Amino acid sequence: MKIIYVLIPLSLMLLSLAIWAFFWAVKNDQFDDLDTPAMDILDDDEDQGHGLEDGEKSVNGKW
Amino acid sequence: VLTSTRPTAGGDAQPVRESCFHCGEPVPTGTDLAVEIDGRPRAMCCAGCRAVAQLIHSSGLGRYYEFRDALPERPESGVDAGRFAAWDRDAVLDHHAPADERGCRSVVLVLENVHCAACAWLVQRYLGSFPGVGQCRLDISDGRLKLGFDPQCTLLSTLASALARLGYPPHLDTPDSALARDRNERRRMLKYLIVAALGMMQVMSYALAKYIGAGEMDPETEHFFRLVSMLVAVPVALYAGQPFYRSAAAHLAQRHLGLDVPVAIAILLALFSSVAITLFGSGDVYFDSVVMFIFFLLLGRFAVLLARQDAGTAHSALTRALPAQARRLTDEGSEMVGLVELTGEDRVLVADGEVVPADGVVLEGVGRVDESLLSGESEPRLRSPGDAVLAGSLVVGGSLTVQVTGLGRDTVISGIVDLLGEARRKRPRLAKLADRAAGIFIAAILLATTLAALWWWQHDPARVIPIVLAMLVVACPCALALGTPTALASASRALARAGVLASNPDALEALPRITHVMIDKTGTLTEPGMHVAEVRPHESLDHERIMALAGALERVSRHPIARAFEAHDRGLEVQRPGSEAGNGVYGEIEGQRWFLGRPEWVEQQIGQPHEAIGEGIWLMLGRPGLQPAWIRVDAAVRRGAGDLIAQLHGAGIEVVLASGDRPDNVAAMARRLGIRQHHAGLKPEDKLALARRLRAKGARVAMIGDGINDAPVLAGADISIALAEGAAIARTQADLVSTGRSLEPLQNLFAQAPRVRRIIRQNLIWALTYNLGALPLAAMGLVPPWAAAIGMSASSLAVVLNARRLGRIPGTAAVAAPKPAAALKRSPA
Repeated sequence: MKIIYVLIPLSLMLLSLAIWAFFWAVKNDQFDDLDTPAMDILDDDEDQGHGLEDGEKSVNGKW
Repeated sequence: VLTSTRPTAGGDAQPVRESCFHCGEPVPTGTDLAVEIDGRPRAMCCAGCRAVAQLIHSSGLGRYYEFRDALPERPESGVDAGRFAAWDRDAVLDHHAPADERGCRSVVLVLENVHCAACAWLVQRYLGSFPGVGQCRLDISDGRLKLGFDPQCTLLSTLASALARLGYPPHLDTPDSALARDRNERRRMLKYLIVAALGMMQVMSYALAKYIGAGEMDPETEHFFRLVSMLVAVPVALYAGQPFYRSAAAHLAQRHLGLDVPVAIAILLALFSSVAITLFGSGDVYFDSVVMFIFFLLLGRFAVLLARQDAGTAHSALTRALPAQARRLTDEGSEMVGLVELTGEDRVLVADGEVVPADGVVLEGVGRVDESLLSGESEPRLRSPGDAVLAGSLVVGGSLTVQVTGLGRDTVISGIVDLLGEARRKRPRLAKLADRAAGIFIAAILLATTLAALWWWQHDPARVIPIVLAMLVVACPCALALGTPTALASASRALARAGVLASNPDALEALPRITHVMIDKTGTLTEPGMHVAEVRPHESLDHERIMALAGALERVSRHPIARAFEAHDRGLEVQRPGSEAGNGVYGEIEGQRWFLGRPEWVEQQIGQPHEAIGEGIWLMLGRPGLQPAWIRVDAAVRRGAGDLIAQLHGAGIEVVLASGDRPDNVAAMARRLGIRQHHAGLKPEDKLALARRLRAKGARVAMIGDGINDAPVLAGADISIALAEGAAIARTQADLVSTGRSLEPLQNLFAQAPRVRRIIRQNLIWALTYNLGALPLAAMGLVPPWAAAIGMSASSLAVVLNARRLGRIPGTAAVAAPKPAAALKRSPA
């Protein structure tokens, strides 16, 4: 049963990791619009490469 | 004189044959605007719809018609490319659209008329086809478009006018404190919820070990598990429980027993007694119950928060009320500038039909200004040099040079919008009642809990803490407090989707008790716009010629009557055109000087006496030396008017037609729609007096008006309902606003109102029954703390779910889409 003294602190670390990951997602607008992205998957037109690729990168995802 | 009447566009008496392929409105008889799409001719109701449908089709975006699950508004026709010209100025771009090091800019636009996923698809695809457009993302819940573009490839004004032509007029986003606050609140709650959820899983897994291995676990391991549970539960409970501690503290500071007082007491009591047991003594600990309890409570709170925030009022009213640009006067002349460029020293020119961009003082010019948005005053007022004008008011005659005195947040309209925002956050009347009842209830719970604790202390001290916890938790009157607001929020949401915005949710609850409906005629039972109803040609001036001349002459005017002639413009060239406010228009066509307008005025201009003519609004068209011709303009009855009146009569509601129009017109309308009571020739103050008289007799009066001319009367009724389209939505201050052109949303509203009331009653009865039933059980020790947490959350959840039934209004999802794509239906979440 000594293994629990390793496993339980490990679970606590995973817990803090999970909380950090969720906070990161909240901070980066991941939960702001849940309706529109759901529709993107249905948009199967071939010409996906419209517009500027570099225009998207240049703003560092801060939309 | 030859007299003939011809059916023309918008004729209200003709049967409706088919609906517009684009917007779904019925196609008026005599309109021939079919467009061939996918090899089949499609009927269109107006030039605007035709233009949009052609645009969509030619861009290869025809799938929009398969995907959409809501019909669009009828688009504006003829979007002026210059309307957004000022948006390309560096100062505007720098303010609204920050540039990156490569010169690409990102801007947030607020779009009108965004309904469904297909709108987002259409906008993203269409804008994406312009060169230099990078990221393009439309949030369908609030109509905000995040757009990245390269000004060297495509100008912002080009993109903006493209959006307007597509039927989604854009506005530059003004930072809205309320929206930002809503978002921060949502994020904060989401963080609490996540911490509580993860913490709950963790603590429960530790507790599970003890339940499974009950009796077999050695004391050392058991103590270790307790310590770990404490290590997780204490920070989680202290962090995630903040909403409850803060609210309880705030209530106590006001010497008031809020809902969260017993909740906070229960959480902290359970937490610290468990800590004490872990560190110093022996007995049961309740870490798992505490964290689970917090999680379930937060879940309920979060659901309510979302329902409350997402009530279809995402658009900032302010962004829509102000114009896109202003005409600034400089020493050299004038230039179009963005609103952000205006300063307190500027002078601006506001032309006929334009909206005043800032508060100011008139320097030159005389004109009439419609300030109904700000003062509720229905008549446009005359403004001359020295008078003050307010941002957001509409110049309806003449043009003004204005010295700017107040801008942006300093304007009067900004203050009004803030006030309206506050009003939206106020709690419904029934909810306040429930709050007061809950306060008494909480005091009773605390008293009962103390008594029970004392009794158990005498008989079985070990059980005091679990029983106190169970009682505090199980009896929390959350469901009582949630019952009304969630039902109203849910109904508001559903009605918003069906075209009725509830700016005062109390009105929904009060609506079923209405005994009288007062309804206005012009602009309410009839469409706001005019159409040509009758033409009287003669030998030397035939029908075609009259309409072509009128269409050409009216081109310069922005008067509502002029819009009736838009469709008849055959492109005749007009030399030296002009308009005289309140009288008519004139210009030279093929070398002859023509006048069209008020008979008395035209008569004066052409020197020909006019003979008496029948009832209605008649315009005279003539030139010197020719017998004049006559045109009658009229307003069409709104779709659904007859059905609405019949529905109200069927529900036992008395309908009163109150109009400022002449008695014969009003009587004819009343006869046609089967309205028994009608009053004609009423000025706004007479209508107000009529509403007051009815109310004095004990009637509960709902007033339906166009919201702008009727503003004071609407304020005098028990419930005010306004009809508005587009930007006018922001201008109304009615309790309920019906959007769009038909009266069908109102039929829905009156049909749904009794359901709202019924569900609120069910919720309150259920909440009371639950609380009164569960408390004695908990006092007898029959309810363990975990069951109490689930019971309380379940009762709150039952109330919320019951309220959500109002989110589904039968019949509102029905849309005449050719192929409804079920996968794209927006979930009612």
